[in-house]
Amino acid sequence: MADVVATNETIVVIGGGISGMTAAVEAAETGKDVILLERAPSLGGRVSQLYKYFPKLCHPTCGMEINLRRLRGNRRIKVLTLAEVQKVTGEAGNYQVTATLHPRFVNENCTACGACAEAVTAEIDNPFDYGLSRMKAAYLPFTMAHPQRYVIDPSLIGTEEAQKAKDACRYDAIDLDMKPETVTFSAGAIIWATGWRPYDAAKIQPYGYDRYANVITSVEFERLADTRGPTGGRILRPSDGKEAKNVAFIQCAGSRDRNHLTHCSRICCMASLKQTTYMRERFGDDAQSSIYYIDIRAIDRFEDFYQKVQADSTVKFIKSKVANITEDEATGDVILHGVDTEGYHRYDNRHDLCVLAVGMEPSVDVRRIADVAVDASGFIEVNGPNGAIFGAGCAANALDVNRSVQSATASVLRAVQVVNRVAKAEG
Amino acid sequence: MADMKIGAYVCQGCGLGERLDTKALAQVAQKEGKAHIVREHEFLCNAQGVAMIQKDIDEEGVNRVVIGACSRRAKAEAFHFPTVAVSRVNLREQVIWSQPATDEARELTQEMAEDYMRMGCAEAKKVVAPTPNAAVGTNKRILVVGGGVTGMTAALEAARAGYDVLLVEKTAALGGVMAKLFKRVPFREPYSDPQPTGVEDLVAAVTNEPRITVFLHATTTRTSGAPGQFSVDITTESGQTQTENVGAIVMASGFTPYDASRLPELGYGKSPNVVDQSGLEALALAAAAKGEPMRRPSDGREIKSVVFVQCAGQRDASGTHLRYCSGHCCNTSMKQAMYFKDQNPDIDTVVLFTDLRTPGNGEDFYRSAQKKGVTFTKGKVSGVEAAGDGSAVVKFHDLILDEPAATMAGVDLVVLATGQVPNSGVNIDIPADATDVDDKPVEHAVSVLNLTYRQGPDVPQLKYGFTDSHFICFPYETRRTGIYTAGPVRRPMDIAQAMDDATGAALKAIQEVENAALGRAAHPRSGDLSFPTFRREGCTQCKRCTVECPFGAIDEDEQRYPQFNEGRCRRCGTCMGACPVRVISFENYSIDSVGSQIKAVDVPDEFSEKPRILLLACENDAYPALDMAGVNRRVSSAFVRTIPVRCLGSVNTIWITDALNSGYDGVMLMGCKHGDEYQCHFVKGSELAAYRMSKIDDTLKNLNLEADRVRNLEVAITDMERVPQLINDYAAKIQEIGMSPFKGF
Amino acid sequence: MSDLNTTMVNEYRSNFLKEVEANVEEGRWVKMCMQCGVCSGSCPLGPAWEHPPQEIFMMIRAGKRDEVLKSESMWMCTSCYNCIVRCPRELPITHIMHGLANYAHRLGLAPKMNPTRRFAKIFWDNIVKSGRVNEIELSLRLYFMDGFKNGVEKAWSMKDIGLGMLKARRLNPLGFVTHKGCKDTKGIHRMLKKAREIEDRRKGFAA
Repeated sequence: MADVVATNETIVVIGGGISGMTAAVEAAETGKDVILLERAPSLGGRVSQLYKYFPKLCHPTCGMEINLRRLRGNRRIKVLTLAEVQKVTGEAGNYQVTATLHPRFVNENCTACGACAEAVTAEIDNPFDYGLSRMKAAYLPFTMAHPQRYVIDPSLIGTEEAQKAKDACRYDAIDLDMKPETVTFSAGAIIWATGWRPYDAAKIQPYGYDRYANVITSVEFERLADTRGPTGGRILRPSDGKEAKNVAFIQCAGSRDRNHLTHCSRICCMASLKQTTYMRERFGDDAQSSIYYIDIRAIDRFEDFYQKVQADSTVKFIKSKVANITEDEATGDVILHGVDTEGYHRYDNRHDLCVLAVGMEPSVDVRRIADVAVDASGFIEVNGPNGAIFGAGCAANALDVNRSVQSATASVLRAVQVVNRVAKAEG
Repeated sequence: MADMKIGAYVCQGCGLGERLDTKALAQVAQKEGKAHIVREHEFLCNAQGVAMIQKDIDEEGVNRVVIGACSRRAKAEAFHFPTVAVSRVNLREQVIWSQPATDEARELTQEMAEDYMRMGCAEAKKVVAPTPNAAVGTNKRILVVGGGVTGMTAALEAARAGYDVLLVEKTAALGGVMAKLFKRVPFREPYSDPQPTGVEDLVAAVTNEPRITVFLHATTTRTSGAPGQFSVDITTESGQTQTENVGAIVMASGFTPYDASRLPELGYGKSPNVVDQSGLEALALAAAAKGEPMRRPSDGREIKSVVFVQCAGQRDASGTHLRYCSGHCCNTSMKQAMYFKDQNPDIDTVVLFTDLRTPGNGEDFYRSAQKKGVTFTKGKVSGVEAAGDGSAVVKFHDLILDEPAATMAGVDLVVLATGQVPNSGVNIDIPADATDVDDKPVEHAVSVLNLTYRQGPDVPQLKYGFTDSHFICFPYETRRTGIYTAGPVRRPMDIAQAMDDATGAALKAIQEVENAALGRAAHPRSGDLSFPTFRREGCTQCKRCTVECPFGAIDEDEQRYPQFNEGRCRRCGTCMGACPVRVISFENYSIDSVGSQIKAVDVPDEFSEKPRILLLACENDAYPALDMAGVNRRVSSAFVRTIPVRCLGSVNTIWITDALNSGYDGVMLMGCKHGDEYQCHFVKGSELAAYRMSKIDDTLKNLNLEADRVRNLEVAITDMERVPQLINDYAAKIQEIGMSPFKGF
Repeated sequence: MSDLNTTMVNEYRSNFLKEVEANVEEGRWVKMCMQCGVCSGSCPLGPAWEHPPQEIFMMIRAGKRDEVLKSESMWMCTSCYNCIVRCPRELPITHIMHGLANYAHRLGLAPKMNPTRRFAKIFWDNIVKSGRVNEIELSLRLYFMDGFKNGVEKAWSMKDIGLGMLKARRLNPLGFVTHKGCKDTKGIHRMLKKAREIEDRRKGFAA
């Protein structure tokens, strides 16, 4: 990685999702040098796995296209993928960032022609679809992946398959001898944008996520609805591939719960409301969506969206934290048990599919890597004594996309203040 | 300018060499495209291929490069030749990957590729690498309008990055709403108790910051110019005006509480013991100043019972009151209930709500309120009535116990959580002389910025008075370049969010002054150095460009000609699309650069059974969707010739009539969704295109052509399955209505 | 002020909530409920409750003192602890239910004929007497609490279980005679008396 030049006027952005990409392009377009580190083989992050955004029901890749164009056109940004940050030391204006660069086994020569994937037969779970589909072990992470370069899965290394992939490549792009590399570079300020991960739904034992095929998470449901997803956008339930026309959405699956996540994850209500529109889009008046909620948190301008969904006769709202789920083994249907607390009504409701609106938790335990203050949920404190390490997006709070972008943009100014000070001091 | 010298390069990699006769393509470039240098290469994007092109630029004087390889969206890093104009001919994604790899398809695929080479060369002749505008503005001061928490934060954060700031505040003091609060909602661990607002510290920091100049009792009475060169009149209450130059503006004009007197059913105005949230803050501040507990406004009696009514005049689907939720009010009511509980735990405090909204760590604050004994009741308030003794009776439907006629009597104080109404100035979409349903003139708000822009004095609004922005992906991108709105004028928000928002807006302002000084465009064509120019002698002063520019970039000069303020321009080309006499162009994008591509296509005669369909595709969404359809090897008609456009708004109808006149059998346009939930990156582009195309029927009628010869379609970037289908359906439709009668003329 | 007005004024005032906080075991947790209803849904005896726990909490906040304290509902709790495990606010619901039942009982408001209350009373009297449960006496008192005829019928219906227990030596038929109290019965009585005094003082019951 000899071509990575970093000084203590460089801003290092950790995480290449919507927040990190935003931070990187906004900083670079302000004239700052940026190194953008992403652990996965592609930029894009979690939003690239969403079918649509609320409240406009537009597509995340639309914004990503613009951001990628800005990023590709800006020579101040150096992107490193498969880069896992191990340690951050130093202080404001003078940090050392150490990262491991995992091997992609594919170099810059790759044209994304796809010949290696054609040559390989081995398949692995597709993480882009949360394992709901399989893919070749030589793969492009997704159609809009950046960099547009294939990846050879490490499981292939040392097998004949790997050789087949290499032999299929006419551009000498496959290098099976790549080794992990450790790199260290300087930074004046660090923007921490490592985002979130869905709370492990299996921990909510009475919902049977680990036992019932037809209990899935909200992020998995996005993949089912996505026309680029494992079912081509048909909402089919996992147990038998039947169309899931009657779907339950359970709010606060992990959030607002002292036994799980104490915070409210903010996005889940809106995500479920949005997902009822997928139901209507697919099944029209035959759709049946039921939202089980404690409070519908369609905050500020999102209230419109809530009102629109409320007006849809195919959507029902039940004020209830579902007690437990059982499975009808004969049909695979799920039966939700609980009490509607608005007037006390017990229910045992049968659904084709149940979607758990899982909460957000920080994807990385930041304190293992750097000396920063986090709140009780592990989010980086924006006002904490963190030197020039600035949390952005969901690393700093449970945020929706719009607020993540806002947070990322704000973090850029905080970083710019530091590197400008450094520049001034250095003349 | 040096002589035009075109270098055309054809790649043989990624199967191009097998699927196409690249030698023939090179010949097309040379003979028909008049390329001076033509080269084939087996792997053009590798270091050697790139070096070959660079060498031709450096040594052979090539100043127009035509690259017949993959999509312009691929290998952008490799094919980066900033000193010359580059035309990318998309032979991979949209030719060989979108056509069947069969022997039968070979002929049509080759024809397609050859046409695209002709188009690439034709474009290359008409474009140059843009040079920055000489008339750039280099002022880097930031003007912040509004001295509340948002404005003060924006000013301070910009100053800390080394920028000079002018801060204009309408009232006699800095502080805004923040200064009128007793305490604020906690903003970091532990989220349990109301916190001091810190407003004095913030005001002191602003006042002591040498880079910030504060104007009190002042408003912006005239704003003209463009990023890097705004000229602003700052007028003080005494009537004195001074003119200042600034580079960018942050508009932080804040909010006004919703007028609670419109809620007589909730008792406001009928009893002094019914207050809104700001009224309660005033009581709390006054009491704290005296060191006493809060007392009943009507008679000064001790307060024993307080009810907080959430969503008062908010979340109103009927449209009588605010339709939206103001986001902060649940937390604010909890904070205010704590004022009482912290003072005396025996005071009853009840919060009546329908959905309690405390996102993130607000949940901790909610628990803390409960722990302090604030009670929460899910209920819909139907009315607040005054009792004789000064107390109030609150009637509501208890939704949990399902008691429609629940009552709380003997309430000493009722606090209405009314919402935030943005101070966004004049709604420029409502004409100045507009009347309401009763024919009464619409009362316009007072302008905040007093822009001299042709399109109106303030920033455009989206909904409910909040200023327009892309909202999800690009929340700061207003429709007035160099002017960034922040705080509750953009969306309802609390102090913590407003401070974050102000910081982001300040960054955007700084970024804009830096780029404006270099002549670079702002998002989404960041860094683009081209800008529109017009042929003055051809202009008919029809003003369409000044009206239609989504960014209000074009004014009129004294002689009523359009005045392009390049710094305000976002390079979408909507003006170019609007111009009926086609006098507007960019150095790298013009009526001619697209028109000559249209004309470069080889149109077979009407007996060939090979129709030609022109597809003008938005480069932001439709074109990527077409590329990705190719990546997924989705086959679409080989009769289509696609040209990416900056935005559908830039499509001039002349392209369509020219295409039809020169024998094309059909024209498709693919752009982004428009309307309320618009997805157009240039806000109005696709909408304007749809409007213009709705009028093209007349043109078609004059040409004696069927209405189906032109089809305008809304497409999203994810439509990689749908787009080939749309193309094939349209190709079938064209087969059905038959070949154009205009071939061969 | 008339009684009606007093009731109205007390509605949704925290008088009763405060009373519960002060006098009911774990009563201070009642205010922490957010009405999600997971307790009510998780309760295996749920369908048998007139007012499930979450509703009782709301009724307490609404000041419905009589309705709550005279309710049969909290007597339905069998201490399975499902609700406690599931409560997102960590309310010790089982304990609160028992606390409320106990409080209602002490106030004399608990439904007189509630079988759980009666059983608890019989059990208490039985155990207090000698410091140990006399099982045979307890069973018989339980069976015959609704009169002789009822008792015979109930005992007859349980005869198989009873015989089984006898065979397995889980029930001593001579318990009346052979039952032995604990070593220091008087000491137990003194302890309980003291405890009662402390409780009464704390909760404001007349001695």
